Amino acid sequence: MKRKFLIFGCPFLIAVLLVVAFGFSQSDSAPLTTVLSPAVANKLAERLPLAPRLDTLEGKTVYMVDINWGGPEAALSIFEEMQAWFAKNMPTVKTVIKMKRGGYEADDPALWKEIKDSRGDAAILGVSG
Amino acid sequence: MSRHARTLEQQFKIPTVCVAGSNIVGYATGYDFLYTNGSPIRYIALPFPVAGQPKSVHRQYIEGKDLLSGKQTMQAIVDALTKPLTENEKVKGPAPEAKPEARLLPPDTEENLQRLFKEKDWTDYAPVILPTEKRVARMLQGTSHKPDEIIKIVTWPGGARPLTVEKAAICAVMAGAKPEYLPIILALATSVPFGNSTTSMANMIVVNGPIRKEAGMNPRGHALGPYNDANAVIGRTFTLMSKTAGGLHNRVTAWSSLGNNLQYNNLCFAENEEELPAGWDPLHVQMGFKPLESVVTVGVGWSYISSVGSVQHLYPPHKLIRDYMKSLSAQGSSATILMDPTVAALLKNVHGFNTKQMLAQWLSQNVEKTAESYWGNAVVASISASLALQGLEPYATWKKLPEEALIKPFNQPQGIQIVVVGGKTQSTWFATDFRLGRGVLIDSWK
Repeated sequence: MKRKFLIFGCPFLIAVLLVVAFGFSQSDSAPLTTVLSPAVANKLAERLPLAPRLDTLEGKTVYMVDINWGGPEAALSIFEEMQAWFAKNMPTVKTVIKMKRGGYEADDPALWKEIKDSRGDAAILGVSG
Repeated sequence: MSRHARTLEQQFKIPTVCVAGSNIVGYATGYDFLYTNGSPIRYIALPFPVAGQPKSVHRQYIEGKDLLSGKQTMQAIVDALTKPLTENEKVKGPAPEAKPEARLLPPDTEENLQRLFKEKDWTDYAPVILPTEKRVARMLQGTSHKPDEIIKIVTWPGGARPLTVEKAAICAVMAGAKPEYLPIILALATSVPFGNSTTSMANMIVVNGPIRKEAGMNPRGHALGPYNDANAVIGRTFTLMSKTAGGLHNRVTAWSSLGNNLQYNNLCFAENEEELPAGWDPLHVQMGFKPLESVVTVGVGWSYISSVGSVQHLYPPHKLIRDYMKSLSAQGSSATILMDPTVAALLKNVHGFNTKQMLAQWLSQNVEKTAESYWGNAVVASISASLALQGLEPYATWKKLPEEALIKPFNQPQGIQIVVVGGKTQSTWFATDFRLGRGVLIDSWK
C-alpha cells in the first residue's frame, strides 16, 4: 500500500502542488492596472405624491382613457369589458370611455381639463403592452 | 402613460390607475418611477400582449387576475382608486443630488477589470481596451475640447446623465478608436443613446465630408462589413456610449423583444461621395451643409432588405426598389436606400434620374400598398391613426378607405434618402426603413 502511494500518489500530489503554486504565483504577479470609469452618475426624479384616494367608487364617475397604444382599435375592448363589469357589479358607478388625442406619448391637456370640468372622480388609463 | 397619470394626480387631484401589459409594468414602477416620473403611479398588470388581441382575450384578462397583486383585475382597479395612500406614496420633495461616480476604478488585474466591465454591462461583450489614464489622455489629443465639457445631458430613458468629452473618450478607447476618430465620436455623442424600443429598433450612422479620408473611413467595397477599422470602431463606440452614458441595460431600461444585431456597429459607414453621378449631391450637402464640411448623420429604423442580385436589364433597379419598399412600414414616409455607385450611375445615365430627389419623388409616387397592410403595422397605427382621428390628411382619408384600396404611403418624398456606398464589384442595393435625422457638424468637435 505504502509502495503504491509512493509510485502513483506521490507524483500526483507533487503535480497538484505545482499547479496550485504556479497558479497562485501567476495571480500574485499579475500587474495591477488603474483605469477610468465609464460610468456616468444618474439623477433621481423629484418625488411627487399621489392624489388622495376616494372612500368608495359608488355613485362616482370614472373616466377610462385609451392612450392610443397600438392604434385606436388595439385595446378599446378592454375598456368596454371594464364598463360591462361596472354595469353588472357596481351599477351606481358612471363610466365614460375617452380616446386621448395624439400618439400614446402625446399630452392631451384638453382631455384632462374635460375630465376635471365634467366632475370626473377617478381615472383609469390604459393600455400599454 | 405614467406621465399622463401624474398630470391627473398632481394637477387635477384625480386618483388614477394605469393598466398595462406585464412587459411594461416593471419599467414603469421601477426605473421610470425613480428617474423620470417621480410619482409612484399605481399599476395593474395584465398578461402580455394586450394591444391587438381579440375581445375574447380582453374579456379573459378582465375576468382574470392582476399579475401584480394577485387580486381579481377589477377588484384590484377598485382598490387602486380607493385604498388609502401608503407613506411612500405621500413623499414629496426635490430630487437628491446625483451621487458622483469615482473617476478612477480601484486598481485590479486586466482579467478582473475585463470581468468587471462585463458585469457592469459597460461593454458589447467583446473584449474592450481598458481605458487607462494614459490611453484616455492620448485619445483626448484628438480634440481641442476640454475633458470636463458636457456634450449633452442624456435624459432618455430617464434621469439626467452628463456625457462629458472625457466619458466619450473613455468609450472611444474601450472600442479601440484612434484619436483621429474622436471628433466624429464627439459629434456622434450628441445623438446618444441609440434607438431603444420593445420593437427592436436600430441605428444607422452616415459620415460625409473630408473627415472620411482623414479618419480612414471606408466608403467603398465592404463599407458595411467588418473590413475597416474606422467604420467598425466608430460604430462600436456609439454602442458603448449608449450603454454607459445612455444607461441602457437589458430588462432595466432596454426592453427589445428580439434585439437587433445592427446595434453592434449601428450600420456605420461613409458615403462614397467621389463616385456620385454628376448632379447627385452628397447627403450632407442635401441637408444644407457645405461640401467641405464634415457631418455625421444618425438614423433610426428596423429593417434592411437586400436586392440580393445585380441589376437586370429588363426590370430596372428603381422598379425593384419600389417593389421591395412595399415591405417597409412607411412610418413617417421614411426610407433610406443604400446603393452601389454602379446602380446610381445606371439610374442617372440610363433612366434619367438626374438627382437623388428625382428618384425619391418617383418612389414616393409609385410605391403602393393596401390600406389594410399600412394600418396593420402597430407603430403606424399608434402614430398615424391618431393623426387620422384629428382629421389630418392624407391619414384621415386613408383610414376611411376599404381594406384593399391602394395608397401611396411614402407621401413625403423628402423622407426618402438615397445614399451611395460600395465598391463597384456588384450592382446591388439595400432598401431600409431608416429615418435619418439632421446631420451634426463634426468640424466643431476637432
